[in-house]
Amino acid sequence: MPTADELKQHALKPTWCPGCGNYGMYRALTEAIEELGIERERLVMVWGIGCHGNGADFYDVQGFHGLHGRALPLATGIALTRPDLTVIVEMGDGDGYGIGGNHFIHSVRRNIDMTAIFHNNQIYGLTTGQASPTSDQFMRTPSTPGGVIEEPVNPVGVAVAQGATFVARGFAGDIPHLKELYKRAISHRGFSVVDVYQPCVTWNKVNTFSWFRERVYKIEDLPDYDPTDRTKAFDLSMSTFHELTCAPDECRVPIGVFFEDEDSFTYQDGLPQLDRPMWKHAEAPRDIAEMLGPYRV
Amino acid sequence: MPETPLELRVRIGGEAGFGIKAAGQMLARTFAHEGYEVFDLTEYPSLIRGGHNTYLLRVSSEPVYSHVEPVDVLACLNRETLDRHEGEVVDGGAVIFDPDDFGADAVPGRLRAVPVPLTAIARETGGKIMRNTVALGAVLGIVGFPLDPLADALRRQFAKKAPEVAEGNVAAAQAGYDAARAACPDFFVTLAPRPGAPERLLVDGNEAIGFGALAAGIGFYAAYPMTPASSLLHFMAAHERSAGVVVKHTEDEIAAMNMVVGAAFGGTRAMCATSGGGFSLMVEAFGMAGVSESAVVVGVFTRPGPATGMPTWTEQSDLRFVIHAAQGEFPRVVLAPGDRTDAFELTWRAFNLADQLQTPVVILGDSYLSDNRQTVPPFDLAGVTVERGKLLAEGDASAIPEALNDEGLYLRYKVTGDGVSWRVLPGVRGANQLGNSYEHDERGFGAPGEDAAVRTQQNEKRMRKLDLARTLVPPPAYFGAPPGEADLGIVLFGTTKGPAREAARMLEREGVRIAIMQVVTVWPFPAEEVAAFMDAAPKTAVVEGNYAGQLESLVREHALRAPDARLHRYDGRPFSPEQIVRFVKEVL
Repeated sequence: MPTADELKQHALKPTWCPGCGNYGMYRALTEAIEELGIERERLVMVWGIGCHGNGADFYDVQGFHGLHGRALPLATGIALTRPDLTVIVEMGDGDGYGIGGNHFIHSVRRNIDMTAIFHNNQIYGLTTGQASPTSDQFMRTPSTPGGVIEEPVNPVGVAVAQGATFVARGFAGDIPHLKELYKRAISHRGFSVVDVYQPCVTWNKVNTFSWFRERVYKIEDLPDYDPTDRTKAFDLSMSTFHELTCAPDECRVPIGVFFEDEDSFTYQDGLPQLDRPMWKHAEAPRDIAEMLGPYRV
Repeated sequence: MPETPLELRVRIGGEAGFGIKAAGQMLARTFAHEGYEVFDLTEYPSLIRGGHNTYLLRVSSEPVYSHVEPVDVLACLNRETLDRHEGEVVDGGAVIFDPDDFGADAVPGRLRAVPVPLTAIARETGGKIMRNTVALGAVLGIVGFPLDPLADALRRQFAKKAPEVAEGNVAAAQAGYDAARAACPDFFVTLAPRPGAPERLLVDGNEAIGFGALAAGIGFYAAYPMTPASSLLHFMAAHERSAGVVVKHTEDEIAAMNMVVGAAFGGTRAMCATSGGGFSLMVEAFGMAGVSESAVVVGVFTRPGPATGMPTWTEQSDLRFVIHAAQGEFPRVVLAPGDRTDAFELTWRAFNLADQLQTPVVILGDSYLSDNRQTVPPFDLAGVTVERGKLLAEGDASAIPEALNDEGLYLRYKVTGDGVSWRVLPGVRGANQLGNSYEHDERGFGAPGEDAAVRTQQNEKRMRKLDLARTLVPPPAYFGAPPGEADLGIVLFGTTKGPAREAARMLEREGVRIAIMQVVTVWPFPAEEVAAFMDAAPKTAVVEGNYAGQLESLVREHALRAPDARLHRYDGRPFSPEQIVRFVKEVL
């Protein structure tokens, strides 16, 4: 079982900008995988396209660096044919909530047993700083010089409303906390959504590390919060919406587990035929003689 | 009078929702079961109820390759059927109609009016819904074919319903039979069961493709419903538990294609299928399958486009699209089945080619293939093989030292002479398989792929697989006379094969000989074979179901030959053999 260092050993050195939130996510995830003791041969990672996706070069793991917005269906194809593998998907906010938004909704409702991590920096980093689906309203960017007109996507709220069985939000500036979220998400039976605020130090001059540090608080510190109450989880998710210029005491940003259903019916549970790696059906031609019966004349 | 005595052509027409297709298929099955060869053609608008539906059935004592234009018996479940189709009926042919719909005076004098009170009989025996069953009985009555096989088929069909439903249908068929027999006791075609006929299969194209995929060991099928591919989704789903296939109806075709690439990454034989519109959505991930060297099979069953086009009709206008789809350059194989036997064979072969070449393989069909049934000899199951190429599915990567670098690290995209690298599946010890939609180095990392030398090596490695493909793909198929002995050589692809083979048979009777070359693998294009065929024939033509002459353009580009004539069709209908016969006579 690989250590965090071994998960990077024969890969390339990260080239994210100095101070990028991706470094914290990288460390938290490799440490989480080490602490969970996942065998190297049983782990598969899938990436979409964006700054996060360059991570495909920085992890020494089995995986697939797919298309922009399409990491979830790509990973679904793996998860629905290889029940012996643990599948972790990494996406960006534009990648997962914008161009891939349709797949996000449907992956949530399918409750496929895999983990979906969203690098949410509220900006398009790799394409030089345009507004993303999670950019705050009125934020000025090169593609929205007059300010973003529409409301941001509320990924936690969408996931909760769509029947997600594990929904959490992390902050790349709190690595120990994020690592524990990852461990719970990966261990969860069912589709796990982890939205991670990951400040972009180059393009997003509003939602910076210090902006978040002044505003984040831990859900587990809330008195009487019940993560099995979907309605409360939805209410809490609405704090995603805030004024762009809100003061730290006006907009508080919860991180932690919003919702968890530990005993859900997964998509794989509905597939009794998924009793082996499906490539095993192609070890020899399948005998179809009996199936042809109704077609014989 | 018809040309061949043991042949019957029946058209049943009525509004959508009348059960035209179901009734027709039961008739087809009845004749096929009693020893006849059949071919059917269902024509219907993109509606669930209303609109004009017809079912055309050809029954013969000889093998049949396509539908034909003339009709011997026209069964009218409404007036529109008579108005639209009376011109197709041969002199002396029968028109079955309900006197409640129109009078015998509406039937032209050259035709035989066969009044059968469809509605009245249906009401007496069970309900108006059974008018189609009455008409079936009437068809059999006209040709004097015993009713028992149809009665048995009806009892099987309604076995799950109350017994009175089945018996009501049998009574309806009997009454229709008797009425038609009384009105037309001396029809020029009489058919009797043909005991001792060899066993055959009655399948449509999508069923044949589905069986090919099952035989090949498919483990994952993903699709979004789209005519005419939807019935393949139903077929695969019906077999998912008994055969052991994960079948996913996805949120869109983009998801379907991406899922198939993911399944292939895990080593599973995986396929998706759609029509041109759905393939348009798949194209980006189709290209990803190319650059990531994923072994995937994609069915593209075409219909008239662009956009939504004519959903329930047929066309061969996506040939160029499929050959060129996706940005950048990568090798692909495109196979075009011409009939249901081809469909089975080429589908299982497609999975082998995808594995051996580690690249996408397309099965290019059309509505004429997908929707229509044909009796074919039993599939050659003993001939099916599974060739997975350079694949290590289990164990330890040290078993394939040639796939490792000096440090012992596995090279997923190692540059090789034939362009194919070892695939090692997730789960194998000592190897990390990294698939990549980016250009990449031998290990699969994206950033080094931007190096000019690495890019060149990887691009050339992939494209070299086309040379290997040329040695593996199915060759063209030839029908009719040898080109050197023919009056005309015709080059075609896909389902145009059937009508052309029928045309060859018809022309042969008139002393005209044509040679047919079916381009089975349309990509990589068999340039040398096409050139040799065209050089051998005294005169040549390309026959294809599109406006622009897409196959001809490939012939000109790759075989460097120009045909003397061409026949195109793009009205949503398949070629008829008679149309090809007329064309050949004009050309010669």
